[in-house]
Amino acid sequence: MDVLPTDAALTALRAAFSEDLVSFDRDLFGTYGRDWTRVFDPAPCAVARPRSTAEVAAIVGFCATNDIAVVPSGGRTGLAGGAVAARGELVLSLERMRRMDPVDRVAQTVRVQAGAVTEAVHEHCAPHGLTWPVDFASKGSSHVGGNIATNAGGVKVIRYGLTRHWVLGLEVVTAQGQVLSLNGALEKNNTGVDLRQLFIGSEGTLGIITEATLRLSRLPGALDVMLYAVPDLPAVLRLFDAARQGPFTLSAFEFFTDRAAARVRRHRGLEAPFAVEGGCYVLVEAEAADREALEQWAAGLFEQSLVSDGVLAQNRTQAAALWQLREAISESLSGTGVPHKNDVALPIAALAPFCASLDALFAERYPGWEVVLFGHIGDGNLHINVMKPEDLERTEFFARTGEADHALFTLVRAHGGSISAEHGIGLLKKPYLAYSRSPEEIALLRAIKQAFDPRGILNPGKILDA
Amino acid sequence: MKILVPLKRTADPDNANKIKIGAGGAKIETTGLEPKANPFDEYAVEASLRLLENGQTKVRIAGDKLTIASFGPKEAATNIRQALAMGADDGLLFLSDDNALDGDLIARALAKVVEQQMPDLVVLGKQAVDGDSNQVGQILAELLQWPSATFAMSMELSADKKTVIVGREVDGGVIKLRLTLPAVITVDLRIVAPKSVVNHVTPATFTYPDGARFTPLPMIIKAKSKPIVEASLASLGVDTALKSKYLSFALPPARKGGVKVKDVAELVQKLRTEAKVL
Repeated sequence: MDVLPTDAALTALRAAFSEDLVSFDRDLFGTYGRDWTRVFDPAPCAVARPRSTAEVAAIVGFCATNDIAVVPSGGRTGLAGGAVAARGELVLSLERMRRMDPVDRVAQTVRVQAGAVTEAVHEHCAPHGLTWPVDFASKGSSHVGGNIATNAGGVKVIRYGLTRHWVLGLEVVTAQGQVLSLNGALEKNNTGVDLRQLFIGSEGTLGIITEATLRLSRLPGALDVMLYAVPDLPAVLRLFDAARQGPFTLSAFEFFTDRAAARVRRHRGLEAPFAVEGGCYVLVEAEAADREALEQWAAGLFEQSLVSDGVLAQNRTQAAALWQLREAISESLSGTGVPHKNDVALPIAALAPFCASLDALFAERYPGWEVVLFGHIGDGNLHINVMKPEDLERTEFFARTGEADHALFTLVRAHGGSISAEHGIGLLKKPYLAYSRSPEEIALLRAIKQAFDPRGILNPGKILDA
Repeated sequence: MKILVPLKRTADPDNANKIKIGAGGAKIETTGLEPKANPFDEYAVEASLRLLENGQTKVRIAGDKLTIASFGPKEAATNIRQALAMGADDGLLFLSDDNALDGDLIARALAKVVEQQMPDLVVLGKQAVDGDSNQVGQILAELLQWPSATFAMSMELSADKKTVIVGREVDGGVIKLRLTLPAVITVDLRIVAPKSVVNHVTPATFTYPDGARFTPLPMIIKAKSKPIVEASLASLGVDTALKSKYLSFALPPARKGGVKVKDVAELVQKLRTEAKVL
């Protein structure tokens, strides 16, 4: 469904629900109609803020019979336009549904409503020595429901895996306004196709998640943070190999180039403890039972000439300062220029040849363009940021990045990678989906959408064309 | 030139919400708090290293020495080891129970350490972040009858190494004191600003990064073979009776929740009648 709601439908909507539940206040539209992408202009028809699953079901049921499209809305921190309402949809925000039940310490689970803020869940579980190990920079705003609907990634994926691994049960409102209770709080339930998994990562196109039973993990012990200097990407991967064998549990393995560090220096005035001309920085976070063994391992890196420089944070202040060098990159790129962002995944073995081809591609076709690389290299996840050259107009730049993306994604496909590692597809990456999914797969995705939402009222036009 | 830096192992006050008071207000429960070196003492180590090296080449001046002294449990060796990794040469650990120490006893014990070690300069953090007593440097200078400057935000060692000019922030500006060595200096946060320490060896063009240095991993390994001498506090021959008596501890009263006002008029009225600031 891809048409504006009729006047009759809107009048009926106004009559059916209180202004508190479904608001037509235009002042809300700009906020609720978009996510962190700034490419699309928000234009919803209404903003609904239900307080219970029953209210969600009532609103969706009404929209289904009146052909009003619904965009589910969490913390709206997405980077692919998945929560954008630009075509007269009703935005259904879960922000009033943030109840968190008591933590079950024995089962290591907690049931929460979809609007619970990720960081609030962390704080709720911490006194029990437990955590929901879904963690990223936007955790202060993002919602559990959004995390699940986008199968969110983040910096701890290397240790804990994606959000998918940390969801036991779901309560979902279907496109018909029915309520499904999926898997309860069961660790094991081998009774045919696991419908719960279909909703995880569906970006709100198959149903609206209203509650979840989350699987929890014990809080990690003391984490040691190290920063290393290496000459190039193959050296980053040799260090990764060494870290995989190290006497500790790896909890983050992040890399960034000296170009990224230079942008952070310009924007935030943060200095790395050492310089690496033309090379890469690697941030390693590890939970070591035996710090002595960790230090010995680190000493070995110098003996084997795997690294040219390195520091180990001696306290939490220093650890936070090292993390800042990595976490400030995204903001510093936008603060010092105009970046065009891509978020690709590659098999670890393909990373080095892929980056070599990427360098060659830009050197040949886009000479003088600055390409800034960073990312969760341990997961094969590269953030590729192309910076707008000073002398190129903005519109001209984005027209050319559109064409560059096709060349880039051709490379990604050739190396067996994915065009969206963790940001999702939404609206932004939809034109490129075929680089990662075969025609047969896309046909199946369409069939699944058709089965769950035959009228196409849930988040239409996201992932697949409506 | 020889510098002595006393270093205290403290319970991390950043975990303030975890601080608990023992039964009857007798003492602060430190179990569950992360132990770490007093940050002001780390700044003292950093500032001392800047006096003793060429910052540009990171080469230490031949013949100079930096010694760390600590009082506390055996575990305090970890914190001394960190200072050794930063670049200090050796450590002294005088074993004692944290609860059997006060500022006066530490100062008297340090005076004995100074007698033994004969440093040209004692550089201390201005205070420890756990008790915030701010006493040791001052009492030590008095016991030694040495010149002293507290809350240093800058230090300039003369080329002949006979005097140090210390900058102290005061209301309305900076006051500079010239101390003749040997002397006692306590340092404030700004002592680790990029240009705070001048030794006439590091080129004037060189700029340090802000804050205490990161320890390069090879230095951490090297620090393992640097000596830390353990001895009992009693071996210093000081009277271990405490002069400070702590009567009781209490947490500050919890903050009252705020209120929302509906308009400016109500705000002004509340500022008049409740806050009584207008």
